[in-house]
Amino acid sequence: MNTMLHIANPICAINWNRMEDEKDLEVWNRLTTNFWLPEKVPLSNDIPSWATLIRDEQQLTIRVFTGLTLLDTLQNTMGAISMLKDAETQHEEAVLTNIAFMEAVHARSYSSIFSTLCLTPDVDDAYRWSLENEYLQKKAASIIKYYKGNDPMKKKVASVFLESFLFYSGFYLPMYWSSHAKLTNTADLIRLIIRDEAVHGYYIGYKFQKKLQKQAAAEQRDVRDFAVSFLLDLYEIESKYTESLYDTVGLSEDVKMFLHYNANKALMNLGFDALFPSDICAVNPAILSALSPTSDENHDFFSGSGSSYVIGKAVATTDGDWEF
Amino acid sequence: MLNRLKESDHKQDYHALNAMLNLYDKNGYIQFDKDKEAARQYFLEHVNQNTVFFHNLEEKLDYLVEEEYYEQEVLGRYDFAFVKKLFQHAYSYKFRFPTFLGAFKYYTSYTLKTRDGKRYLERYEDRVVMVALTLAGGNKKLATSIVDEIITGRFQPATPTFLNAGKKQRGELISCFLLRIEDNMESIGRSINSALQLSKRGGGVALSLTNLRELGAPIKHIENQSSGVIPVMKLLEDAFSYANQLGARQGAGAVYLHAHHPDIMRFLDTKRENADEKIRIKTLSLGVVIPDITFELARNNEDMYLFSPYDIERITGKAMSDLSISEHYRTFVDDSAITKKKVKARTFFQTIAEIQFESGYPYILFEDTANRANPIPGRINMSNLCSEILQVNMASVFESDLSYRHLGTDISCNLGSLNIAKAMDSSDLGATVETAIRALTAISDMSNITSVPSIAKGNHESHAIGLGQMNLHGFLAREKIHYGSPEAIDFTDMYFYTVTYHTLAVSNRIAQERGCSFAGFENSAYADGSYFRQYIEQSWQPASEKVVALFARSNITIPTQEDWVALQKAVAKYGLYNRNLQAVPPTGSISYINHATSSIHPIVSRIEARKEGKIGRVYYPAPYMTNDNLEYYADAYQIGPEKIIDTYAAATRHVDQGLSLTLFFNDTATTRDINRAQIYAWKKGIKTIYYIRVRQAALQGTEVDGCVSCSL
Repeated sequence: MNTMLHIANPICAINWNRMEDEKDLEVWNRLTTNFWLPEKVPLSNDIPSWATLIRDEQQLTIRVFTGLTLLDTLQNTMGAISMLKDAETQHEEAVLTNIAFMEAVHARSYSSIFSTLCLTPDVDDAYRWSLENEYLQKKAASIIKYYKGNDPMKKKVASVFLESFLFYSGFYLPMYWSSHAKLTNTADLIRLIIRDEAVHGYYIGYKFQKKLQKQAAAEQRDVRDFAVSFLLDLYEIESKYTESLYDTVGLSEDVKMFLHYNANKALMNLGFDALFPSDICAVNPAILSALSPTSDENHDFFSGSGSSYVIGKAVATTDGDWEF
Repeated sequence: MLNRLKESDHKQDYHALNAMLNLYDKNGYIQFDKDKEAARQYFLEHVNQNTVFFHNLEEKLDYLVEEEYYEQEVLGRYDFAFVKKLFQHAYSYKFRFPTFLGAFKYYTSYTLKTRDGKRYLERYEDRVVMVALTLAGGNKKLATSIVDEIITGRFQPATPTFLNAGKKQRGELISCFLLRIEDNMESIGRSINSALQLSKRGGGVALSLTNLRELGAPIKHIENQSSGVIPVMKLLEDAFSYANQLGARQGAGAVYLHAHHPDIMRFLDTKRENADEKIRIKTLSLGVVIPDITFELARNNEDMYLFSPYDIERITGKAMSDLSISEHYRTFVDDSAITKKKVKARTFFQTIAEIQFESGYPYILFEDTANRANPIPGRINMSNLCSEILQVNMASVFESDLSYRHLGTDISCNLGSLNIAKAMDSSDLGATVETAIRALTAISDMSNITSVPSIAKGNHESHAIGLGQMNLHGFLAREKIHYGSPEAIDFTDMYFYTVTYHTLAVSNRIAQERGCSFAGFENSAYADGSYFRQYIEQSWQPASEKVVALFARSNITIPTQEDWVALQKAVAKYGLYNRNLQAVPPTGSISYINHATSSIHPIVSRIEARKEGKIGRVYYPAPYMTNDNLEYYADAYQIGPEKIIDTYAAATRHVDQGLSLTLFFNDTATTRDINRAQIYAWKKGIKTIYYIRVRQAALQGTEVDGCVSCSL
């Protein structure tokens, strides 16, 4: 038997030393240095603070986090993976699988919060609520429709809207708590998630723009029109979702300002102009300042681990370094 | 509850105003006025409305004593007329908090509140007077001086003192405790009890694990029995989480281990991002004790041997922490009776840097440097939670019921810091130092930690205190001097030189007044005069005109060689009351209340985002900063490790204990950069390194627009 080996579609080994798009490497490096696990954050320090929340506030918090868990689950199991086959480089595929994995870590993190702070029946209630909440299910369904479809551009738009817009009605609450000195370690963990989502939304938006540039003007216009009208649809659902959550505590108006601000950011990630005028994007400065994805926070050793440390690059010292 | 919050949130509550400090205005300027407005709103909307009203001082004090908020004994040492005059005096300064964080921090964490925690019973002035009355112990003149020094901001006692003094239900006034653990179950058990007891009463606790036998060491001569240091760390971590001071502040602890202990690599791995839950250490701080020999081995790219403390003690009769590993290294390597293993010395340093990247830990104590500079007989083998306390200790021996067969000495330290800018504005720096030293000495005198007898004994014999400094960067920037410039280092050198003279002179006067020195004075470098040689044999003068002018401006005299000769004689004759005098802590909370930059560090950011359990995330402007002098407010990451080390080196040579030195790196740094900074620090005579902090810049395109703390 001396038949020659003929392979129709040979698998190509990824070569990180030949980059087609430098952005892939930059984002890969960023995502890997940012790697973290929820066990790093001493959530149990928030137990006394959790006890100071009244029942309604606790229920709201659990529901908000359950809603976020659902979105992370969606992004983990469908979103990032559905974009794999549209990837233009092998490195992009690698970045997408990293994104998918980190989304699983995020989804996992909320369970860490629950198991540390909450009682099981309350959490079970919230999971039941997430199945029954019309708006939450609706926004998930709107996104899934495009993940299951075949249009790579629409898929990316849906993904950026999820990463840069839909998460933020949920992120509002822990930032609000932390600016009022509550659940500050939980806020650290959420800030780690925000740090990741900011990069995810930015990267997918970047890939979207690259593809868009190659298209004809008419096609570009169609995609833009699609994006804007899809955003408005999502905004409609998101406003109702926000009201269903935050009306009980009187924060809906403030959260909506924040929605406008993030909707604009999502559009900008896609390279489009902002939609909402700046006077209805007047986000509470305490929330806006708390969002900052840089690791600029100074914390004391009595309180927690902060959201600032990264995994470093190991380089051996040389003889010259040791001259003394 | 949320609804109520919501109402006060309407439009611009004080949190929102404060957060605007972190956002540029339309013209790209920092909005300092918003923070001032936030502080004002905080008083109008919150503090004033939640402060209990009294008709007059007498009614107030009677009520607070009767309801057991204040200690009767404190007030009972003075006549009421004086007390009233002192309160009036304090209020006459018309103190106002210059920043929102200062006010917020004070009312959230320090002031006396009703038992339900809802209403305030003290204003800032009241707290200052109660601290002064407590520490002065009936001495009216001292009480008045303490009020003057604190309310002008020149002197600020550390948190445990400022928080607790004068209150009936309170923790201890002391900041820091350091305990040895010996290689037996009684000592381990006792130290866990001590950790609980001391955390309950406040302050941070550090423990030395160096003497514990390593993983796999024999127990009762049966091999492979010991589980090493990690399980002890776990026990301690849980003990610290359990205890806190009436919820005021969470217990916090640190553990130190010698670099040549066989468990060292495991010890470091407990802080790895991917460490298994069973061995992961989340909230306990780590410190490593590194002798000179380790640097030599790394230079030669050799292996470093790790020695079993169990065998060391068996062979030499001394605990590992009680002897110099640098001195015994070669002997131990050649001694077949000592179980050892080895790692590459450079790998050890690189591992430290890797873990520092991930976690900020471990702290480092350069053992031989600290001991060479130590004027006191005995060995320094550990430091504390903030790596600025460096004192000698002695082992205790326990009975099986945990009572003491032999009572050793452990370490405690109470701290307070001067605001360098404010101190330099006053014409009598000597008087400021005198009041500060007498206040700190009073804390040592009135402390008696009976729950940990070795601490009580150590304090009783040593009267050790730690005068610190803060606001160096604020002062330099105000004077238009760049941090780390030759002039800045010249100033630091001369300032610490002058303060050191005064601390010794005051301690000498107290010894003379009381006819008593610290235990062991006779065998110290102070007694034989050798300590003073560095100051007598050469003249210390500012090198630059600018620094000469800074001292001349307020008529602050710089001690001369003759002054030192006279002091040397006085010390030889009357002794020193305090075994230890200076230690420069990181000054977190108190520097916000005092409106200073922390310690002698550079600022971490022009607008600092500060997060703490009790206050959440709040923004803080650097002192004296305006939109016109921003160039002098380069942050620690821009300034880089070398200039920080140079600044600390100038201060270190005058300070008898240590200084909390944090190093700052951008995320483009590698482990090699961290190692190089450590080597440089060690070469420059730095005694300890505190945290390593790494700042990651936001990926371009993901920043929050117009955010002050994000712009690099």
